[in-house]
Amino acid sequence: MLKINDLHVHVDGTEILKGLDLEVKAGEVHAIMGLNGAGKSTLANTIAGRDDYEVSAGSIEFEGQDLLELEPHERVGEGIFLGFQYPVEIPGVSNLNFMRTALNSVRKYNGEDDMSAAEFMKLIRAKASELGMDAEMLKRFVNVGFSGGEKKRNEMVQMAVLNPKLAVLDETDSGLDIDALRIVSEGINAQRRDDTAILLITHYQRLLNYVQPDVVHVMIDGKIVKSGGKELAAELEEKGYADVA
Amino acid sequence: MQEQLTEGYKAQAETLMGTVPGADSLRQSALKEFEGIGFPTNRTEEWRYSDTKALRAEEFALAGTSTSAEIAAPLGETAARFVFVNGRYAEELSDLGDLWQAMPIRPLANHFMANPDRATELIRGNDGVSLLNTALMRDGLVLSVPAGIEIDEPIEIVHVMDGADQAAAHTRHVIELGEGAEITVIEHFVGDASAYWTNSVLQARIAEGAKLRHVRLQEEGEAATHTAKAYVNLDAESEYYCVNMSVGGKAARFEAHVRVLGEEADAHVDGVSLAGTGQNHDTLTHVSHMVPNATSDQIFRTVADTRGKTAFQGKVTVVKDAQLTEADQSFKALVFDKTAEANSKPELEILADDVKCSHGATIGQLDDKAIFYLTSRGIDPVTARKILVEAFTADALVNIENEALRETLVERIRVWMASRAENVGAGE
Repeated sequence: MLKINDLHVHVDGTEILKGLDLEVKAGEVHAIMGLNGAGKSTLANTIAGRDDYEVSAGSIEFEGQDLLELEPHERVGEGIFLGFQYPVEIPGVSNLNFMRTALNSVRKYNGEDDMSAAEFMKLIRAKASELGMDAEMLKRFVNVGFSGGEKKRNEMVQMAVLNPKLAVLDETDSGLDIDALRIVSEGINAQRRDDTAILLITHYQRLLNYVQPDVVHVMIDGKIVKSGGKELAAELEEKGYADVA
Repeated sequence: MQEQLTEGYKAQAETLMGTVPGADSLRQSALKEFEGIGFPTNRTEEWRYSDTKALRAEEFALAGTSTSAEIAAPLGETAARFVFVNGRYAEELSDLGDLWQAMPIRPLANHFMANPDRATELIRGNDGVSLLNTALMRDGLVLSVPAGIEIDEPIEIVHVMDGADQAAAHTRHVIELGEGAEITVIEHFVGDASAYWTNSVLQARIAEGAKLRHVRLQEEGEAATHTAKAYVNLDAESEYYCVNMSVGGKAARFEAHVRVLGEEADAHVDGVSLAGTGQNHDTLTHVSHMVPNATSDQIFRTVADTRGKTAFQGKVTVVKDAQLTEADQSFKALVFDKTAEANSKPELEILADDVKCSHGATIGQLDDKAIFYLTSRGIDPVTARKILVEAFTADALVNIENEALRETLVERIRVWMASRAENVGAGE
């Protein structure tokens, strides 16, 4: 589904990703672990197409297509979703309007008609309820006044509504208490299917107790230095990055 | 130049003597003062951000009649519609509905027939622009809403300019609300591409417990100069809600002068300016709290595209006796790039010691992070910007209770944003 080959990315003139290779197949969950500054978030933002992340070499293919040719919103239309580490607050725009505009934009990209307001309300209420989000929060401005956990939960509701092929979740577990972590993990697991793939970017192993990865990668200084099964996460937790790498 | 202009405007005023009985001496004193001070320039503090070059360069004749004007569509359901073409009331284009059954409606010319003393209540003005309005006013709407009358649907005043190159319309509207009366007045300004000047004054008196909602939509032609002032007096427990939207014109300015004269009165002056390339939109407000225990609130949002310019000068005066006044002011400006300009000058003149007054002003660009967040959910960048600008201006429109009318104004913002996207090319 996703093939990254020798990816080099500069941010503000500094090279952050220095030749990264990664392949994620449909039906797989991959975890990328690494310390702060290793380039994990840069990888996530580059897949999503943030414009101040400059790809100087290498390629990203998504289902055989050159992803780097596509604008961020087109990538979403193709089925990519980025869960933000720090979801953005947007005063004046209600969550409901935002999500409905997003869903209908993706449908339009794929040549489908808009979803009716009634059908959309049914969908979003169901997804919010599954993820333990109060229906009142849907009416509020996007992320404004939300706690850290509520923001992450809101990301999961958006993911569930957009139902992507590939979800890239950037530190979705950070800032969550144990209950929120469990609910968010359920949301991620619900998205786990034969035809989808998930890329978890995380600092800690604890999320991986709830969402079992098929492959764990260790990222240091802009490269993946080691890959293995889920036992690698436990090893990292025990020994630290320096020894494992 | 000033002398030449003054002579020209004097000659214009001569032709108007007697057209509004009772107002001739007022015209003359206004002219005399105009002769002394002329048009404002950027050296005049209140006009420092304005563009008055067109006014100072050449005389604007009195606009002639037109029968071919394209009349803008009504802004939703209305109780009555008064159309002024080139500054003159156009009866055949207007629709009085049943309004005449509820209240006296008169043209300005007949206003003072019954009671000439009332002519002295006309505001004369304090700068070259408003003085000329007084000197050259020819027509306008005089509405006297009897006590207790409430009209739900808006009363629309349409100002149309057609084929009036280098010509002007000086309209004067007078609106009086009796005790407990309640109406909504929409003023809609439109015009063709000629270099005309709209110079309009609306004065309103809101009696005890009455409520005036005043919505302005300024969509003048691209070469137009627009100067307009609202002078509003509020008695006890009365309410004034003004929302001004500026979209058109080359140089456009709106002033609201609100005097709070009765306790527990509540004044709101809000506005949205959308200044495209080469446009100058300028707003000045002055809210004077003359008595204790009253409130006022101002919310202004301006957006300036490449080489567009917006300005907000907001003054609040609280006299010594006006204790327990609460007055707030919020100004936020968006600029699309480095060539766009936004200016703000809040001014608080507070002589009472037990008041709550606040003001805040910010100027900035659209948040890149917010744009990326929206696009990362599948929303294209043009729509993302539209959503953010609409959200940015929303606070200034919340006081429009009439949902359909508010939606009409929001739609103007969407259309304006859509035309930006065409100019700058989709995607960036």
